[in-house]
Amino acid sequence: MNAMGVTRMERNLAALTACAVLFLAVAPAGAHHSFAAEFDVKRPVKLRGTVTKMDWINPHSWIHIDVKDPDGMIVSWMVEGGSPNSLLRLGFTKSALPPGSEVVVEGFQAKDGSNRAVGQFVAFADGRKLFLGGSAPGAHGDSGK
Amino acid sequence: MTRRSLATAAAAAGIAAMMAAAPALCQDTASRAKSAVKAAARPVPLPRTPDGHPDFEGIWTNATVVPLERPASLAGKEFYTEQEAAENSRRVLGISSWERLGGQAPEHYNMSQYGLDLSQVKVAPTLRTSLIVGPDGRIPPFTPEAQKRNAERAARNRGHQFDGAENRPLQERCLLYASEGPPMTPWSFNSNLQIVQNDGQVAILQEMIHSVRIIPIDGSIRASPHLAPSIRQWMGDSRGHWEGDTLVVDTTNFTDKTAFRGSTAGLHLVERFTRVDSDTILYEFTAEDPATWVRPWTAQIPLTRIEGPIFEFACHEGNLGLANTLSGARAMEKAAEESAKKASK
Repeated sequence: MNAMGVTRMERNLAALTACAVLFLAVAPAGAHHSFAAEFDVKRPVKLRGTVTKMDWINPHSWIHIDVKDPDGMIVSWMVEGGSPNSLLRLGFTKSALPPGSEVVVEGFQAKDGSNRAVGQFVAFADGRKLFLGGSAPGAHGDSGK
Repeated sequence: MTRRSLATAAAAAGIAAMMAAAPALCQDTASRAKSAVKAAARPVPLPRTPDGHPDFEGIWTNATVVPLERPASLAGKEFYTEQEAAENSRRVLGISSWERLGGQAPEHYNMSQYGLDLSQVKVAPTLRTSLIVGPDGRIPPFTPEAQKRNAERAARNRGHQFDGAENRPLQERCLLYASEGPPMTPWSFNSNLQIVQNDGQVAILQEMIHSVRIIPIDGSIRASPHLAPSIRQWMGDSRGHWEGDTLVVDTTNFTDKTAFRGSTAGLHLVERFTRVDSDTILYEFTAEDPATWVRPWTAQIPLTRIEGPIFEFACHEGNLGLANTLSGARAMEKAAEESAKKASK
């Protein structure tokens, strides 16, 4: 406790409050729909699979992957990502994620238990993140290294 | 340099460049109408159409690091200094949009991967601490009538939010985004618009979600009256006229389906477009609805020029999220029923 009678905990609380205010002081980050309503935060998934296609559609892109389950069976999953408009504007094309690419998806499974997930982080199997998460093949002016 | 750092550097450069123009954007409410006069005094003349009016044509963004309402920590402080504004921009752009969602949506995808982060686009700078002007910087309080109306609406919806598609928000149904208005307010990504203009009309296309307003421009509001009161439209009925070098757009005839920030179909909106310099339009709106707010309120949002192009945002095309949300709700209900059955045994 210092001379003004403020304990460390009180200072920490004050700092936390200040941070909360600062976070409120910025423009909102919004989403098209409630992700909490579509995906289950209690069902985290990590999928390793092969891209079969990517839907470059709005309001969200969808990456289709085939995943081998523990029994060796192939299971098809759909992975929800962001609007493709900005990717196109920044020079990414369909060749940025060709079918056959090996990817790793970290996200959460759909609440209805279907094989759909939000792709919170999506990376190539060698660790390179997709699109602007790192260099990616197909990006204009980018060697992919 | 990585693509991300290039984008961040570009955003920072944009802010620095526009800070130079910021003084024209930071005048107080009473003197803001003089913006155009100041701009006209600049050595480089503003672009004009063949009929002599300011030319607004181009692709613009209203992406911003500034919130609509002023946070309590900045109460009474309407403007940052240039240094404070630069620090605020650095701080905001240093936190990704996904990080800012935080506990609000821990399931959300990381927007940075898709170029949807604020730090990856050009933002329109301002010295304002909130987009809403005035000493308070906040939306005025609801009238007692509006409080009652909103409480009744909330009570009606409670427990029925997932009954069917018609119970979901308009934007989740891809009908109209809250940012489209009018008034046009920033969205967290693809916050872009295109203006096309001739001597009798101005058309505004908003990328989110590809709505277009075609606004007739006449000599005065009297020369081009609004539609009959019986005709109500989702985006209202907009009529434009010139006040000097400012395009003033008056909008009425709203429906009660859109409810801008809790408003009624009686919302009366006045938007003002003033070209401040070659890269900036100052967009201002005043919203008035005596059935909703105790007084009218005004916001100023700078629009800054971007290269484009704008792409179509065909929201219905792949709106799988709506169906998934409803099937998720059905699955949750079923699980709850089964668990209740087990508990009763």
